[in-house]
Amino acid sequence: MFEIEIRTKKGFKNSHGEHVLSDISGIGIKGITEVEYFPLYVIDGGITSAEVGTIALELLSDKITETYICRYKEQSVGKSLKTESSAGIDVSETAACADSAILPHSAFFVIEVWYKKGVTDTVSESVIKAVKDLGIEKEIKVKTGHKYYLYGKVSQAVLNDIATKLLANTLVQEYVAQ
Amino acid sequence: MKCITDCKIIEILNLSDEQLIELSRKNVLSLSLEEMKTVQNYFKKLKRNPTDVEIETLAQTWSEHCKHKTLTGIIEYTEEKNSKKTRRIYNNLLKETIFKAAVELNKKWCLSVFKDNAGVIEFDSENGIAFKVETHNHPSALEPYGGSATGIGGVIRDILGVGLGAKPLANTDVFCFGDPDTEYSKVPEGMHHPKRIAKGVVSGVRDYGNRMGIPTVNGTVCFDDGYMANPLVYCGTMGIIPKDKIEKKVNSGDLILVVGGRAGRDGIHGATFSSVQLDQESDVSAVQIGNPIIEKKVLDTLIKARDLNLYRSVTDCGAGGLSSAVGELGKKTGAVVYLDRVPLKYDGLCPWEIWISEAQERMVFAVPPENKEKIVEIFERENVEAVFIGEFTADGKLTLIYEGDVVTNIDMEFLHNGVPKPTRPALCKIKEEKIQKPVEMSSSEISEALKASLSDLNVCSKEWIVRQYDHEVQGQTVIKPFQGNNVEVSGPGDAAIIFPYTVVRGTKKGIVLSNGINPQYGKINTYKMAASAIEEALRNAVAVGADIEKMSLLDNFCWGNPDEPEILGSLVRAANACYDMSKSFDVPFISGKDSLHNEYSIGGKKYSIPPALLISAMGVIENAANTFTMPLKNDGDKVFVLGTTRNELGGSVLAKIKNIKYGIVPDVHPQESKDIMKRIYRAASENLIEACHDCSEGGLVVAISEMAFAAGKGVKIDIDAVKTGKIKSQETELTAAEILFSESNGRFVVEVKPGNEARFGEILEDAVFAEIGCVNSDKGIVFESEKNKIKIQEAPEVLLNYWRSTINW
Amino acid sequence: MKKAKVLILRTAGTNCDCETQAAFELSGAVAERIHINALIEKKDKIFEYDILAFPGGFSYGDDIASGKILANEIKNKLGDRIKKFALSGRPIIGICNGFQVLVKMGLLPDPELFEQVSTLSYNDSDKFECRWVYLKTEKKIKNESNCVWTKNLPDIISLPVAHGEGKFIPDDRKLLDSLNENNQIVFRYSSKDGGKPEYPLDPNGSVDQIAGICSTAGNVFGLMPHPERYIFALQHPAGESFCRGYGWGKVIFQNAVDFVK
Repeated sequence: MFEIEIRTKKGFKNSHGEHVLSDISGIGIKGITEVEYFPLYVIDGGITSAEVGTIALELLSDKITETYICRYKEQSVGKSLKTESSAGIDVSETAACADSAILPHSAFFVIEVWYKKGVTDTVSESVIKAVKDLGIEKEIKVKTGHKYYLYGKVSQAVLNDIATKLLANTLVQEYVAQ
Repeated sequence: MKCITDCKIIEILNLSDEQLIELSRKNVLSLSLEEMKTVQNYFKKLKRNPTDVEIETLAQTWSEHCKHKTLTGIIEYTEEKNSKKTRRIYNNLLKETIFKAAVELNKKWCLSVFKDNAGVIEFDSENGIAFKVETHNHPSALEPYGGSATGIGGVIRDILGVGLGAKPLANTDVFCFGDPDTEYSKVPEGMHHPKRIAKGVVSGVRDYGNRMGIPTVNGTVCFDDGYMANPLVYCGTMGIIPKDKIEKKVNSGDLILVVGGRAGRDGIHGATFSSVQLDQESDVSAVQIGNPIIEKKVLDTLIKARDLNLYRSVTDCGAGGLSSAVGELGKKTGAVVYLDRVPLKYDGLCPWEIWISEAQERMVFAVPPENKEKIVEIFERENVEAVFIGEFTADGKLTLIYEGDVVTNIDMEFLHNGVPKPTRPALCKIKEEKIQKPVEMSSSEISEALKASLSDLNVCSKEWIVRQYDHEVQGQTVIKPFQGNNVEVSGPGDAAIIFPYTVVRGTKKGIVLSNGINPQYGKINTYKMAASAIEEALRNAVAVGADIEKMSLLDNFCWGNPDEPEILGSLVRAANACYDMSKSFDVPFISGKDSLHNEYSIGGKKYSIPPALLISAMGVIENAANTFTMPLKNDGDKVFVLGTTRNELGGSVLAKIKNIKYGIVPDVHPQESKDIMKRIYRAASENLIEACHDCSEGGLVVAISEMAFAAGKGVKIDIDAVKTGKIKSQETELTAAEILFSESNGRFVVEVKPGNEARFGEILEDAVFAEIGCVNSDKGIVFESEKNKIKIQEAPEVLLNYWRSTINW
Repeated sequence: MKKAKVLILRTAGTNCDCETQAAFELSGAVAERIHINALIEKKDKIFEYDILAFPGGFSYGDDIASGKILANEIKNKLGDRIKKFALSGRPIIGICNGFQVLVKMGLLPDPELFEQVSTLSYNDSDKFECRWVYLKTEKKIKNESNCVWTKNLPDIISLPVAHGEGKFIPDDRKLLDSLNENNQIVFRYSSKDGGKPEYPLDPNGSVDQIAGICSTAGNVFGLMPHPERYIFALQHPAGESFCRGYGWGKVIFQNAVDFVK
């Protein structure tokens, strides 16, 4: 199973991150100075790392403004999210085929948001179609998520607040904030 | 009946009353004791217990959401006025008020009224136009994004499922939210903050509507603390349909084809859930997530199949899923469905879940067997899943089969007509409204109040929301939500006009869409609220050039718990207002919907919503080019006010800002008002109108300011020239502030070119109207009263800024 | 005389195909809306047409990124035919989502290269917005662009935009310079008098206010604004007309139809 994180290249605006930052201050939370938003994709189903590289480069990232990080993971799609992420999110160790990735600077938090099992994930269906168009004829499973890097200093309770009040609706989504 | 593991037999025959209630509660059936006993008796006659599929099917079909039991049930209504009581029994409130008016008016151009998924009126000799507005309140409270998206998705399918399918041309949306500036600590536990709900709802409508390629052209947003725990999300769709595709009929032997999305656990119990008050542990699976691209594919292919005459009937899968859709189509014939043939998103659904799943983006067709291959090819060529799941029979029974076993076998007649009519008491205590103490305000106080009104949540610009909707896709939106004399400056348009040239090539005609809603009035008087909403919807339409003789209306009631007599009583009054206004304006209702039980209980305390009646209007105009917008056009032009200004500040914006006690809620004077509307249309047909704006929330001063700053122009108004009228004989003359801020219905502000005022005056002869000033950009926006020594002077861009800055999230 | 034949390529989520068809037909062409599945089945059918149009919408929901999945599909399944069509000099237009598709498959700015070298990214405002804007047409006195689609236009026109991802970004400065030198930048967002616009008249923060570009040969043209929404004067917010009740958008379609006659 591979997890692909799509990053904004240096020098390009992370518009959605900026938007989230203003939403955070909008609900009265101080202490966060910068937010970056990156889409996440998990792909499972016997594909090779070369194929994942092609998918990330040709399909999931924009050649001009984005780059990507691929991580190989043992668990398969659908396993509990909590265990997946407790494996650690230290990017530098797990990055498998990072293409000039920008490593996040110090003092940051990460919030990941995923749809709960059984909730319609329309993007994942589109990715499966597009992977076939690329000529990779394998039965794959795809899950999409959102990753927010929050720079600054806040308590875990506040972090959870940001997650539940702004980024995730726990009715249909689950999140990990650390 | 033999049943295997996936389907359970429900013991009901020998249950006591208490046990029946418990069964209904435990399984979220939302059936009353009387209804449960009716079910029990039916199965006693069959000498067997029902299966879970049968119970669920009955609960869905009999749900408030599908059957509208309250408004079609028996209501014992008592009205108390000056301690005098009058009583009236309604056997079917809808049939005796709103629908009755439509029957009595008997308009030839009404092509399908109150019988299909939407009302249809005539557009031209070849085409009809269909309009439907729905609500999706409860899901939007829990999951604002998914809730509103599936709301818009659902009403679009109503239009796809009217007759043999209409092509959607425009969406409308109206929301009621709590105050977005509410402190976080004051939001009830387990609820989303009103701002989050508002943003989520807007994104949901945006992402679904934009992806469907249907412009969202008209709407409004009301804010009130009463909607904090229970927002209202109204979504409407208008579509066009060839006249020969309006009738549909199912024949025995026709195949049942389900097209579009797959069934999942999403939305299980959505229909019954609409009737249950929200509490903290609301059923999670009631929330649905939509996929607009599947629905878009269904739209594209459905229209193709329709034009090839490949099916005999169609309806959408909405609340109640296949249960409702197949039940509805097979009402007169009977149907057999093989549940194991229904495409599923994932394994593990039991038969009753398959049957009532509210998975989105599905339509059900009745297909003559000879078209079997042809129709499936149409769908499959564009990657739309289409699967035959059974056929319509001639036995009048609903038969469901799962892996060879019959899991349901009940009479269609019982399913559709077996629900006992409930009887509910309704009470209305009519209180006399008092005029407030005269509102004396200095010039600077009026200036401040004007700025406060413009930035009030219920008046301020909704541009932040509206611009996120593609209101111009399809290229037919000729009167747009925001109006100006060039590209940059924008003021609030009164109504939208669609010029359907891509569908009806060569046409000159247009379709006007507008709305009226004002929950503030309803807090005091629901009769006047309903009457005002109707007048406002019509007024908005006339203000862009609509012909009052070719208008139709939709009603959407959102009310609290109808088990409380006073709440139901206030609804009866509003329904009566609908009848009265429909008759006196000579404008029929063509469709409607209600959403009751809009209540939320938390920590033992009940939050009930202020009653809200949304009136949506649709009309046809002869020439889409012969319309007008609200920004002032040329310096030197004359400004007129049409209609009478009365001392009506009850429920007004000024009353809220200045905390004014008492005040009369604006009444409607249908004869006076209709007369003016007709004259405006005449003046318009002679091209005498440069600009026109309706006068509503905030009164004359807000309407005129909007016209001025939308154009970046100034205007000079003589307050003393405004024609006023008395409500009560002993009344004192209106103060300047009362004239400026009164929200009297039936008024328009019209701009006329200097040489045209004589002819304009001739057309308006005998009507109440006055020339009150002129467009003059020298000194900004000026309101002056010599009599009261009042002079207000503001720069247009300053007022624009007040109006624009409130909602900028 | 034989009428110009236009292929309007549609797929799941395409939604400006009907008005684009109307625009071409009102300009005297015969326009057909063809589903991509049908074209993939019969690839050479494309050469039966004189003009190819990629209309606006949300192809495949704009999942992943706008236009990306359709660009990927076309490139992998129809790439050689599309390239041949473009190099044959026949007019191709991509409007809004269609522009995003052209850019992401690399047919613009250089059909010969056919590689993605620029992009249309998220608006600076991070939201989808629908509004009218002013566009400066790049008319150079001596060295007019040879874009076949934008002839006969005045210095400034107005058109509506409706997009969330319209910020044009070229790969590097060199590319931008060459786009400028070759007069490939045919539309720029501008203020009313042609000056540099600010948000919201600059709706997305595009590099150099770029709103539309063409290939060096001038036949392949992509733009974010929607000319098909301004065929008639009454579609303009203030009813502006260039002649006989028509809007400036019509000129763009007329140019291509006249070109292939």
